[in-house]
Amino acid sequence: MSGERNPLAAIGPAAPGRRGAPGDRLLFKTFFYSFAGFLILFSAYLFLANLDQLFVTEAAVRSREPALWEENRKVLTSFAGGFWQDPYFWKSLNLTLMITLITTLLASAIGIPAAYGLSRYRIPGKAVIEVLFSSILVIPASSVALCLIVMFNYGPLWDLQQRWGFRFAHSLFPGMVIASFVLSFALGLSAWKAAFDSVNPRFEQVARSLGSSRWRAFRTVSLPMAKSGLAAGVILAWTRAMAEFSAVLFFCGTFGELPPERFSTLERALRIDQADWLSVAIWAQIEYGNVEYGFALAYILVLIGGLSVYAMHRIGAKGYIW
Amino acid sequence: MIEIRNLSGTVGEFCLQNINLSVRDGEYLVLLGPTGAGKTVLIEYLVGIYRQQEGAILVDGEDVTPLYTEERHIAYVPQDYALFPNLNVSRNIAYGLEARRFPRAEISRITEQMLESLGIGHLRHRMPLNLSGGEKQRVALGRALATRPRLVLLDEPLSALDENLRTQMSRELRDLQQSNRATFVHVCHNFEEASAVADRIAIMDNGCLVQVGTLEQVKAQPRNEFVARFLKTQNLFPAVADGATVRIHGIQLEKKSTIRGERVMAIRPENIRIHPDTESGRPNLFRGVILEAVPRPHFMEYIVDIGLKLAVFHIGERRYRVGDSLGIELPQEHIALVERA
Repeated sequence: MSGERNPLAAIGPAAPGRRGAPGDRLLFKTFFYSFAGFLILFSAYLFLANLDQLFVTEAAVRSREPALWEENRKVLTSFAGGFWQDPYFWKSLNLTLMITLITTLLASAIGIPAAYGLSRYRIPGKAVIEVLFSSILVIPASSVALCLIVMFNYGPLWDLQQRWGFRFAHSLFPGMVIASFVLSFALGLSAWKAAFDSVNPRFEQVARSLGSSRWRAFRTVSLPMAKSGLAAGVILAWTRAMAEFSAVLFFCGTFGELPPERFSTLERALRIDQADWLSVAIWAQIEYGNVEYGFALAYILVLIGGLSVYAMHRIGAKGYIW
Repeated sequence: MIEIRNLSGTVGEFCLQNINLSVRDGEYLVLLGPTGAGKTVLIEYLVGIYRQQEGAILVDGEDVTPLYTEERHIAYVPQDYALFPNLNVSRNIAYGLEARRFPRAEISRITEQMLESLGIGHLRHRMPLNLSGGEKQRVALGRALATRPRLVLLDEPLSALDENLRTQMSRELRDLQQSNRATFVHVCHNFEEASAVADRIAIMDNGCLVQVGTLEQVKAQPRNEFVARFLKTQNLFPAVADGATVRIHGIQLEKKSTIRGERVMAIRPENIRIHPDTESGRPNLFRGVILEAVPRPHFMEYIVDIGLKLAVFHIGERRYRVGDSLGIELPQEHIALVERA
């Protein structure tokens, strides 16, 4: 079959690429920039509305809240509560990134193979598993945390902890990981499963008929084809873990007043001897009356979340034209 | 040589019953049947996507039933070709060679050879999304043939193509199969498509293999009314045979056979002869009146009333009009008596 005998080469224009539709991109950009604009304006309004705070004298502050404004809290009278000068903020950020990273890695390591299994195989109780993890997404996180408390404080898991001389609930490091893991895993799992569902199993069957083992077919065909969805799932799991508030608060408690002996040597070495992570720190600062400080932290979380969602959209919209 | 022995199994709502079929080396066999007949399920059993409940699949005498898909060395080209969208044309063709750990130099040589023989050398760096239907099919065939499999399974390979391209690609499929001396099993539900490529056809219905043979054999002697209808034998009438004659609605035809009793009489429209005048002495010659005349691309189709309404295809310069009276001969050798479906 020579080139001359194959006039098909000239038939038909090249198929259009599978980039995101222009309408979708416009809609997303409109939403993204409106949202960002609203945040900027709203934060400006808050700063301006509380402008008088910038001029409060230290003496006045001391007289109003003498106990609270002791020690290193002088900076709180500066712009946005001077959060960047406060070790409390950096330890919160450190804790947030540390726990979120561990949670995301753990959720991905377990969730991606689990999602593949749920997508490709007939597993007994598959519907129950799917309903369970979908339910976690729609019920309040505080309810999830209460379920976790009951699960870890009674029954076989409690006995196991007693034997090890350890407690998951109301502990800092494993407690926070568990609370954020459950929610980020549930969200990640649904995204990863959708990513594998979108890849027709026929591709793997063809790959295997050409001599690939099951693992090679997965590695060379399904995984690259699902990679955008998988990456989007990782980002979703990351943002969900980072944004978690009530589950962590319920399962791990409020940590503002934890004595130093509650922190392990490892935790102290990793400089996470500060128990409030960012979402809890926002609440703590608002409770203390530091509205600007709290708002600045919220703004940072919103910024990280917004950028993550934007990155997810960019990755998710990527086609196979390269 | 591929042999399927007493294969039975159920996949979802599809159930295959006692399939026995053999495919010779270098043969082009078409599995033909209506939608839902079980053709695709049968090739999925062959490729190893599903395991049959009963029976065996033998390739060159070796029972491949317990083998995994990758161990069977049977290439599979699905309906949508399933080109890997993350690999370019060249890498798609080389995929099977890499999977089977061919030496690198050998992979390059065979891939180049395939690209050239398929006339798609200029597409080597293109991604599958940027290919037309015909180009996709060539890449899929190249990928399947590159490793020289023992059998190539094609699941409705022409169904995604337009009419003109289908004719051309069917010719190319046949050329490719012969030049590679490969064994092809091609699934389709289109009689014309099958007739363009097949050495033999195997007709399936409702999970059963109904008839296997060359196209001429099956057309001349369909096993039952279903096969006759599926192969577009339009003239089918309930009949009673007595070994020497066949009676249909009071009309008597000469037909010597060993068959006796109630059957369906089948005769293909292209096998009915038209005589301008009724000649005496010819058996099975009747006077008929043309009821309809429909021009087709290469012949005229007439509906003629001889006491039965018959469809007749006529190739020739002479044209008849509605109302014309002429002689209609039903040659005895083209009359088939088949079982009711």
